Amino acid sequence: MRETARKTGVRLEHVWKIYDNGYVAVEDVTFEVAEGEFMVLLGPSGCGKTTLLRLVAGLETASRGTIRIGDQVVNDVPPRDRDIAMVFQNYALYPHMTVYENMAFGLKLRRVPKTEIDRRVRAAARVLELEHLLDRRPHQLSGGQRQRVAVGRAIVREPRVFLFDEPLSNLDARLRVEMRAELARLHRELGRTVLYVTHDQVEAMTLGQRIVVLNKGRVQQIGTPLEVYHQPANRFVAGFIGNPPMNFIEGRLEHRDGLRFVGKGGQVQLMLNAADWPKVRPGQAVTLGVRPEAVALATVEEAAVMRGQVETVEVLGAVAHLYVRIGEATVVAQVDASVRPALAQEVALRIDLDRIHLFDAETGQALPRARS
Amino acid sequence: MPERVTKNRRWRVRLREAQQGYVLVAPYLLHLSVFFGYPLLFAFVLMFHRWDIVTPMEFVGLKNFWRLMRDDLFFRALLNTGIFLTIHIPLQIVVALFFAELLNRPLKGRGFFRAAYFMPVVVSGVVITILFQQLFAFDTGLINRMLQALGGEPVPWLVSPALAMPSIAIMATWKNVGLYIVLFLAGLQHIPRHLYEAAELDGANAWQRWWHVTLPMLNPTMVTVVVLSTIGGFSLFIEPYILTGGGPLNATLSAVLYIYNQAFYFNHMGYAAALGFCFAIVIFLVVLLQRRFVETDTWS
Repeated sequence: MRETARKTGVRLEHVWKIYDNGYVAVEDVTFEVAEGEFMVLLGPSGCGKTTLLRLVAGLETASRGTIRIGDQVVNDVPPRDRDIAMVFQNYALYPHMTVYENMAFGLKLRRVPKTEIDRRVRAAARVLELEHLLDRRPHQLSGGQRQRVAVGRAIVREPRVFLFDEPLSNLDARLRVEMRAELARLHRELGRTVLYVTHDQVEAMTLGQRIVVLNKGRVQQIGTPLEVYHQPANRFVAGFIGNPPMNFIEGRLEHRDGLRFVGKGGQVQLMLNAADWPKVRPGQAVTLGVRPEAVALATVEEAAVMRGQVETVEVLGAVAHLYVRIGEATVVAQVDASVRPALAQEVALRIDLDRIHLFDAETGQALPRARS
Repeated sequence: MPERVTKNRRWRVRLREAQQGYVLVAPYLLHLSVFFGYPLLFAFVLMFHRWDIVTPMEFVGLKNFWRLMRDDLFFRALLNTGIFLTIHIPLQIVVALFFAELLNRPLKGRGFFRAAYFMPVVVSGVVITILFQQLFAFDTGLINRMLQALGGEPVPWLVSPALAMPSIAIMATWKNVGLYIVLFLAGLQHIPRHLYEAAELDGANAWQRWWHVTLPMLNPTMVTVVVLSTIGGFSLFIEPYILTGGGPLNATLSAVLYIYNQAFYFNHMGYAAALGFCFAIVIFLVVLLQRRFVETDTWS
């Protein structure tokens, strides 16, 4: 297993990309994609994720660091010799070629025998349900069909690594969900190494076996979808992943009959379990983070209770999001839609202390929590 | 009653607007009718007449066309024009594409070169022809003197019947290529970069990217260039008129030059009109054929 892992994995070591005008697009990025792994690069626009993908593809050259595909350092290998296939955001289909020719083009250039080209193109067309469209030109296809042709063009090459650059962003919502499932199925069937760029956290969570979260050209966290969701490494990751986003309350820690979080303005006060937080200092300025689903309506006075007024109610069917004003902060709680309170109503909120996060107010780094 | 009044008023407003519109397009219409409409109509009438400008017009029916069919010189002129086009168009396309590719790259002084190559297009054809007369001259011409300085033999650029037309084609290419560089440049800049990237990942080398992406994507421009340079080439006149007068041995007698000679040298106005008419049909057929063979089906 380890033997093969070397052959088609992708490994970036301290990779930098600095443009001629001095703009640093990628800063000291290191990560590894294992053989057959579906790795997602996730981040807001301008975070350097597409640049990273283009570095792996060879469409950009790294300013520093090494990029390996399998055992081979590919920094100086031209794109066509890297044995990779890329699906572009706008598909980049050749408008003057038919669907068949688009898919066959890469094989033709590699002098694959005609019968073999035909076999592979037809096989890919069958998998992607493009068989009846093989004679069409791209402009005669719908967005979803073009997308599938772009994927087909990548598949027939049978490359070591697939690169996807926001392939679903030009599709409408329904089609996006369909194609997402299709891509997941394809990955299961082909078992190839995939590097997938997106700014859509839902895509990242549903498709990725692991996620690299990027911001401003730097890696923020690498982990499985559940890891980055439940154990965000810093405030950026915590705020970027999750919808609605995590609640943040600025404040400080105090030692007064135990460890206590006091929010700015004093309206929010929480007793914390000191044993959970071994590395905190009294008086430390922190940001408390808690996801809406860890905030609930409280009926009786409890330890972790805050009071506030309902500002907005968003009903999403089964659940509702309550925006509750507490002092200077607005806290979002996800509640059962059937028991939602009225606007402007005074409510008490309970926070699940097992699911709170503390971030250092200065560095934004998550404060380590003792796990029992 | 008031309805009728408003209707009336509306009609008047519309009339005034229409009048203003006609006033605005009047200069164009005037120009069109004086310099295109009237001569065209007059030529139609002339085709069927004998007229030497001085004596009154005489109706001759289809005689001018009978004469044309037996006129070896006219077919010689057509052939000459054909020779000119077969050299001029491919040469022009190759040279224009080459420079357009070059000027499409990040290059120092790119703006200067783009302007410089366009300059001959706006300079008068007469000036350029006289300039090339100096360059092409057998004994004193700059080109031959350079050849001799390099130890070569002087070339009879304009003196040899075999070389005269190719020489003119080279000159015409030099003059017009700037326009086609600009057209190709616009075409090249229209090709999305990601197609080249996709081709690169598909395994195409630089030549294959050019052949499989650039060239097919340039097809609409190519059609424009071929059609424009064909029409331009068919109207070849100034160059042979000044440079060779159609010689040597009628080797550079172009169709338009022949028509001009018939009209204003021999005063055969009716016959010249008939020649012009047939020549226009030839041009039309050639362009039709070109579009058929050059234009691949379009995409959006």
